[in-house]
Amino acid sequence: MDGQPSPPAPPVRAGRRWIVALLLGLVGFTAVIGSSLLGTVAIPVRTGVEILLHQMSGGALFPAPCAGTGVSVAHCGALTFIVWNLYLPEVLLALIVGAALGISGGALQGVFRNPLADPFLLGISSGGTLGAAILYVYRIQEAHADLFLPLFAFVGATATGLLILAVARGRYSSVETLLLTGVAISNLLSALLSLVLLYNPVGGEQVTFWLLGSLGSADWEVDGIAFGIVLALGTVLALYGRELNLLQLGSDVAQSAGVDAPRVRLVVILLASLTTAVAVAFTGIIGFVGLVSPHIVRRVAGTDYRVVLPGSAAVGAIFLLTARDVSYLAFPSSLLPIGIFTAFAGVPFFLYLLLRQRRGTTMGTT
Amino acid sequence: MLLSTSTVGRPDPPRRAVSLTWVVVAVLIAAGLAVAGTAAFFDLRAASTLGGIRVTDDLGRTVNVPYDPARVAVLSPSIMDEMFRLGLRGHVVAVDCYAAAFGGLSDDYSPDQVAAWNLTSSMCVQVGPTFAPEMLVNLTPDLVLASTIVSVAAVEEITGQLHIPVVMLQPPTLSGILVDDTLLGEVFGVSSTAQSLNADLSAELYNATRVGASVGSYPTVLLTYSVDSDGYWTFGPGTFGLSLIELTAATSISASATIPYPELSGAQVLITDPQFIVYGAGYGLNESTYAGGPEWSQFTAVQNGRVSGIDSNWVTEPDPTMILDGIPALLATFHPGAT
Amino acid sequence: MTGPTTLPALRVRHLSVRYGARVALHDVDLQVHAGEFLALTGPNGSGKTTLIRAALGFLPATEGAVEVFGRSVEELTVHERARQMAWVPQEEGLRDQVPLRDYVLYGRYPHHGRMDGESDADRRLADRILTDVGLGDRASDGVLSLSGGERQRAVLGRALAQETPILLLDEPTAHLDIGHQLDLLGRVRTLSRTRGVTVVAALHDLNLAARFADRIVVLSHGRRVADGPPAEVLSEDLLVRVWGIAADLGRDRRTGLPFLVPHQLVQASRRDPSSPFMGPVHIVGGGGSAEAFLRALTEEGFGLSAGALHLLDSDAEVAEALSIPSAIEAPFAPLGAEARERHRALLGAARAIVVCPFAVGPSNLSNLLDVLPFVDRAPTFLMSAPPIRERDFCGGEAEKAYRALSDAGATEVMDLGGLLGALRAVFPSSPSATQDGPRTTAERG
Repeated sequence: MDGQPSPPAPPVRAGRRWIVALLLGLVGFTAVIGSSLLGTVAIPVRTGVEILLHQMSGGALFPAPCAGTGVSVAHCGALTFIVWNLYLPEVLLALIVGAALGISGGALQGVFRNPLADPFLLGISSGGTLGAAILYVYRIQEAHADLFLPLFAFVGATATGLLILAVARGRYSSVETLLLTGVAISNLLSALLSLVLLYNPVGGEQVTFWLLGSLGSADWEVDGIAFGIVLALGTVLALYGRELNLLQLGSDVAQSAGVDAPRVRLVVILLASLTTAVAVAFTGIIGFVGLVSPHIVRRVAGTDYRVVLPGSAAVGAIFLLTARDVSYLAFPSSLLPIGIFTAFAGVPFFLYLLLRQRRGTTMGTT
Repeated sequence: MLLSTSTVGRPDPPRRAVSLTWVVVAVLIAAGLAVAGTAAFFDLRAASTLGGIRVTDDLGRTVNVPYDPARVAVLSPSIMDEMFRLGLRGHVVAVDCYAAAFGGLSDDYSPDQVAAWNLTSSMCVQVGPTFAPEMLVNLTPDLVLASTIVSVAAVEEITGQLHIPVVMLQPPTLSGILVDDTLLGEVFGVSSTAQSLNADLSAELYNATRVGASVGSYPTVLLTYSVDSDGYWTFGPGTFGLSLIELTAATSISASATIPYPELSGAQVLITDPQFIVYGAGYGLNESTYAGGPEWSQFTAVQNGRVSGIDSNWVTEPDPTMILDGIPALLATFHPGAT
Repeated sequence: MTGPTTLPALRVRHLSVRYGARVALHDVDLQVHAGEFLALTGPNGSGKTTLIRAALGFLPATEGAVEVFGRSVEELTVHERARQMAWVPQEEGLRDQVPLRDYVLYGRYPHHGRMDGESDADRRLADRILTDVGLGDRASDGVLSLSGGERQRAVLGRALAQETPILLLDEPTAHLDIGHQLDLLGRVRTLSRTRGVTVVAALHDLNLAARFADRIVVLSHGRRVADGPPAEVLSEDLLVRVWGIAADLGRDRRTGLPFLVPHQLVQASRRDPSSPFMGPVHIVGGGGSAEAFLRALTEEGFGLSAGALHLLDSDAEVAEALSIPSAIEAPFAPLGAEARERHRALLGAARAIVVCPFAVGPSNLSNLLDVLPFVDRAPTFLMSAPPIRERDFCGGEAEKAYRALSDAGATEVMDLGGLLGALRAVFPSSPSATQDGPRTTAERG
């Protein structure tokens, strides 16, 4: 190993934490507002901001948001609809799904003690995609596709997660076995998916697009449901931070220190799978968020999983929102799959991680 | 070495009745659901039920539409053709496009069509690879006319979320085009125009049938709309392309195919050796493109100079142009002099 | 400090543990009282680690049980076990750069509820423990930047933070230099004496065990073979029996504790008890002629006896060093009746006889003569290099005796290689019968 590992990041004093949190909140709010003005239809900045603040304050602020801008009343209604019912929900969904993927990634990296672990390693995404593909190509419940698609994806993803857990139980539940089982099942499902798409190209284009991720399904209802589920799952997941810390010492040592290692591993994997499944169900496959976010947090704030888990959620949310914004800023009149952008950002980072790994410690500050 | 007061041997602390964790989790879930419930009230556009007429579209949907709407989104080139011929171009404010990175307006509309119908990219509503609802909303249409190139999910979104009525026009047969014209005539109050258009269409159809009855033999034909290194894409059962060939008194070599859009290899075409080859031109395809296909120079039709091009829109888009331009062109190709 | 209790802190009741077909522990029974420091010793593979892992509940008992303060380990939850026993493992797989204080605080896990954070009391405890293990000034350093010795102390610190009445250590001194070994075990013993913590430590170094432990338990092939205070348990015989080492047992004048000084040679009697005993092969020698044979045949795993040798003879010294039963006579004296009687007894018990090429004089001619009656009972081999003619200092009597032995059926062998081949033929079921060349102890058993 070259060089000595550097000392860990110093803890932030409590008082400073509040100021930092407040600043972050303000920045976050501004980012949300700004992002809600981005999309395939350009929204004039001032009008857009006024519309948003008007809606958020229930009408109290800016009673006539489009006044004096030459925008007709009908068009103002359209802009309001676009910004409030289409763009803002997309922004919020990006935050929610990004957080879900981030915290799942952090939890899986902890449980597998592998810095390259990722929510999609277990093949959960493949299961979700297969569920969605079946719905699309066999035109099941077409009229209510909006509701049934997430349901099918969720069921497919969770079923895969449970299948993997069932296969790797008891004394086969070692880290390596779980990983390999996940990879094997993932490949099987991908093959099944290819088979379905091969013989049914009609619904296939949509599925293919879905394979690259899309925030298009966002509306207030979807956001509310996603938020509730992700918040609940994520909170419970985050509570396992201490156990994950101890698991890094090895299953046996963790057990001697009071952690029921096999049970904790299964619970965490299940929770992470469910959280990922929710994300997959609403947005299709968005990769690299779960891989990259925990690493960023570790670099900044150390390897304590009580910090890494919530931190990964925050970083994941920011990452996905940024990807969305970049996709609209760089390609203003196209709606391109968001997965492309997370890949473009994630792959170089991933390679950078691999190169760093050769020099220093596996995880943590180097 | 001394340690602090040790807990060695001390009993476990008593457990609380209900773990604090689960209380927190329950509160959070409740919060999430409350957000979802309140969010349902944020939906802006109430469903409009004002005035209008009731129509049944080609997919059997019964739709309430406003009478003679001023702003219409036309999400299909074939419907655009009908609107134009019915003199309704002025009502059209939005047309279907693909993502700008994939061609935008020119992906669905040929340059001739863009020019003839005076379309601009500001009228674009992206329907592929995914549907962009904001582009539709931004153009504030009162009615959407769409074919099945718009996905079911998108239609759901337009009707359910954006609360804009959608009429699906997807004629199953050539005569269905006339039905669509009639429907549009009703909606826009141009029934007489629609009637006269339909008269022209009927006349053309009748003419084709008459010619068909009068000729002795049906030539074999390959009607191809695309080519790649594996073969020639053509029309199978259930497609307009095949119907056109049958109507124009010819036999397609793909008549016995099992899928709607089969690809025939060079060998397959060679074996059946059609007397005529008609290729679809436009969207980057021309004769030299097809000439690059497998076994092209071996085909008898090629050697005998019985190869001709046709605007691919005429054989793929089910609209009046298909009947008024496409059929005569095919008749002239297969049965010259038998008008 | 906890007072004496009637309940032992740790009780291993007739414990057997099997891995599939392999028996790792068989009917091991021992108990450790509160405040005791027990050293678990034995050769590699004797079951020390298995016993500790069974005590921690990692392995199910095939038979018997392990009890902690009267309660069976298998009945306790993982959490309860963690409050009774802390484990200092040989190795830990941590790859993250965790700050040392946080790492020690990991040990506080069994004392916290799910929602509890770390209290100031916890942090103060961690700091105190770090000072106690000599890492007080490294509290903010990352765990990975510690040296081997420091790392081992950090692991001990984490275990101590669990504040359990029992501490289990698995080869805690394995990667430490001697200074750190003494330091670590010293701290542990002080802890045991002042806080009444029960310590069970698997140690491979017997001298360390003798020095720091109150009691030593010796395991061999999964069985308990000794249990008691160091002074009672440690003996040269034990070392030979269990480790196959010849050693001298000394007594440290300062501490009064026994210590062992192993000899350079490793005894082959430490062989797999399941392989058949090859021997006894009786070596007749003297004057240094038998030395090579004694060593070589011992290496090969043969059980030997020797005679008749004179005290102070190099052959006799080697025989004694290798603990080979011998017939011994006083130095320089002719072989007396007693020595010859013993020799004849050894000859009678032998399954093969080897006559070494010793110089024969009047004082040891009887060595050859006493062999004669036993030639037809056991295969006899006469080492004939150098030839007997050159070694006969009895005026031809030795040559005559040799011829008599040949006529009676003894085989002449020229060298060690030939002898080994011949002996392997005598014991055909021996493992070495299927192999060429001598095997080292390391390859065997």
